[in-house]
Amino acid sequence: MGKPEMKGTVTSLSSVFPPEEVQKAAKMVEGKLSEKQSEMNQLKEFIADNTSLINLVQKLPDELHHDIMVPFGKAAFFPGRLIHTNEFLVLLGENYYADRTAKQTVEILKRRGKSLMSKVDALKAEMQDLKAEASFFDSTASEVADDLVEIREYEEDNSPERVSQSGPVELESPSVAEADNKVSASEDDEYARLMLRLEELEKEELAAEDDGENDEDEDEDANANATETETDGDEDEDELTEAAFHGKKDEGYSSLDHNQRYLESQPRKQLQQSKGKDPMNEEMSTKYNHQDLTNQLACTGLTAEPVTKGNYGGEIPHGRIVHQDTKMLNPPVNASVPSGKKPVQTPKSEFDSSKAFTGSIIEHTENLEKKLPEQKTTSSQASDSKPSKPMSRFKMQRK
Amino acid sequence: MSSSSTALRELQRDLENKANDLSKLQKDIAKNHQVRKKYTIQLGENELVLKELDLLNEDANVYKLIGPVLVKQDLAEANANVRKRIEYISAELKRLDSSLQDLEEKQHSKREAILKVQQRIQAGKAKA
Repeated sequence: MGKPEMKGTVTSLSSVFPPEEVQKAAKMVEGKLSEKQSEMNQLKEFIADNTSLINLVQKLPDELHHDIMVPFGKAAFFPGRLIHTNEFLVLLGENYYADRTAKQTVEILKRRGKSLMSKVDALKAEMQDLKAEASFFDSTASEVADDLVEIREYEEDNSPERVSQSGPVELESPSVAEADNKVSASEDDEYARLMLRLEELEKEELAAEDDGENDEDEDEDANANATETETDGDEDEDELTEAAFHGKKDEGYSSLDHNQRYLESQPRKQLQQSKGKDPMNEEMSTKYNHQDLTNQLACTGLTAEPVTKGNYGGEIPHGRIVHQDTKMLNPPVNASVPSGKKPVQTPKSEFDSSKAFTGSIIEHTENLEKKLPEQKTTSSQASDSKPSKPMSRFKMQRK
Repeated sequence: MSSSSTALRELQRDLENKANDLSKLQKDIAKNHQVRKKYTIQLGENELVLKELDLLNEDANVYKLIGPVLVKQDLAEANANVRKRIEYISAELKRLDSSLQDLEEKQHSKREAILKVQQRIQAGKAKA
């Protein structure tokens, strides 16, 4: 079992969005916003002037002539008369003027007012966009100030990236654990199944147990179970965790047993296996080739133990007792176990079988030990990250 | 060593020249933008005038302000003038657009050239 291959990047937001630049961007956006605001004010003034002009133009034709103070130069007025009250020289634009009556002038002015309103609406939309930008920049700036970290994980099995923003240290572990779940799923499942096989083998042996070792076993179980709960997590957690949990417990214990070399608490094994046997067997049966079972059964006989130990495929170990069960279970069970795991496991079992007949338990243990520490590291992370779920369950079933 | 330092200096001079060219280009682009804006506004105004002229009666008086003088004009003549002006402005805008594109392309290539020179300078410094 190698380390789960997972690429991940942990980037602090301050590196992606340097605080200075974020502030600059925020200022720029603010500047633009203020520009738009001033434009908006100007347009509103125009609209106000336009409406007042419309009112004036409508009032003028009420009289034939008006007595007014006529502006004369920069700072002088003289009394005068406003005549031809219905004739207006209207600026059409681009230095073009036209003679119009009051009514027509009012129409022109109204049309101008409409175009102004549409401009105002467009400006409003722009300002809203700018405001959204500004708020985004503000939030980024605050995040950067808070030293938030962006965590991305790339996983081989599942393509989608996971981007989670979290505090500096603490939250890394859950995301890492989750990543571990997905990537290490195949590997851990293999290992789990191997453990299952071994466990069943030991069950047959009914060897003497060391209670003292059980404690160690329990610790390792916790780790193994934790990893396996997490490995199953990425698949239907609800479905598999429960089944897997049984399996995990058994597997965990079996792993311990393997380490102990056939030293297990039988009652525990039997209890757990009785509980988890069905799901386990289901898993096992689906995972392993039935043919292998039959073949190995033929071969085992006396060599049950070494074979079982050697074969993490765990095909034979359960041998007599289990084999029947698995056979029975095999047809009904074509379970949810992903088929991808099968090919992964078979080569391993072959590898193990070659070792099995060397008969050195030491090797077996070494493999286990190698695998276990790796798993332990990942599982410890995982167990730390998800303390509540697996641990509580584990405790529940244990006690 | 001296050869590398002289080469380095040359590269730096080259970099300066290119940087100047780039700033010139950027100024041109900015000017282009400004003129474009002006023309766009004028175009909008002229189209408005055209609309109003279309709404006028045939016998309405149309005047054009030429300097301080308000000159009476024929409606048809005014229409034609405004239309021509609109065409002229749109042609100008198109021309400006194409020149803007050219300027931007040049700016882009200048930036790349500058990057290359910078890289060479860094390589030269690393060696020395």
